[in-house]
Amino acid sequence: MNKVFLLIAAITFSSVNLFSQPITNHQSLITVKDVWARPGAKNANSAIYFVVQNNSSKADTILGAKSKFAEIVEVHESFKRDNDRMGMRQVKFVAVAANSKLEFKPGGFHIMLINLYKDIKTGSSLDATLNFKFAGKIKVKAVVRDMPGM
Amino acid sequence: MKRLLLFVLLFFSACTEKLPVVDDFGNTHYNLVNQNNQPVAFPDIVKGKIVVMNYIFTNCPDICPLSTNNIRLIQQQLKKEKIENVQFVSLSFDPEFDTPAVLTKFAEIHNLDLSNWMFLTGDKSVTDAIIKKVGVLAVPNDSTVFKDGRKIYYYVHTDRIQLSDTEGKIRKNYKGSTINVEEIVRDIKGLL
Repeated sequence: MNKVFLLIAAITFSSVNLFSQPITNHQSLITVKDVWARPGAKNANSAIYFVVQNNSSKADTILGAKSKFAEIVEVHESFKRDNDRMGMRQVKFVAVAANSKLEFKPGGFHIMLINLYKDIKTGSSLDATLNFKFAGKIKVKAVVRDMPGM
Repeated sequence: MKRLLLFVLLFFSACTEKLPVVDDFGNTHYNLVNQNNQPVAFPDIVKGKIVVMNYIFTNCPDICPLSTNNIRLIQQQLKKEKIENVQFVSLSFDPEFDTPAVLTKFAEIHNLDLSNWMFLTGDKSVTDAIIKKVGVLAVPNDSTVFKDGRKIYYYVHTDRIQLSDTEGKIRKNYKGSTINVEEIVRDIKGLL
């Protein structure tokens, strides 16, 4: 009995160690920078944009995001249909290739904040957490501003 | 030398070429309301002015803000160049959500200068008639349902900024989210 318990304990602890170590290392190789969000009114929507740099030799995946500033937070992308029509849809995940940079930008991928709990005004900031498949949760602070060139 | 002269002549004639009439609001009249909930007869209210117009819904988080921001950049550039007699219009094709109060808040939160910019909404049948007239498509594609049962729609829609002359004739359509501000400012100058 004791031997079985010890064996299970040994496997459990070694597994935790095996899995946790690469995650910690991988997270440090993922950086999220230039985080900004559009201003938005209470009960309206906004979007968060940023640049993800994956310095790891392993691809990662953005699975979702959370923020206390909105009722629903989803990963979305804008898409082109025909010549001059545009739409937007939810995506389940976004892959970030190994040793690459991916930009969430207007007209492309964005983190959509649906039904804001309060006004988010230019000059303020908001917190969000991005959830990566391997790197885990990465907290970001988005500066609220209008489009570049303003 | 002759070739150079020919090139210069062709270049300047291209620059001053009149924009063709793409469409015409003509004698159509639409009853709408502006962001202050005041009745607006469109396009009568903007007759005599050059009009820069886009078609939006405020739940659009990405493309419509780009288009609206471009309208702001055009407005700022015209102001800088002291070009007047231009009216900016943003028409919502989602009037059931975009009430005057929502449009007012949208303009306020984005710090928009409404001195020569109006946001229009109204009865859905009226806004549908306008977008149909100008060939703008807006089809509900996706939606979000909240816990309390409220539902908002996301549209697949024509990404457009439209330029009309002082007689209500549509002279050029541009892709709203990626419009070249210099190009439309040059076209506006050509209509003055």
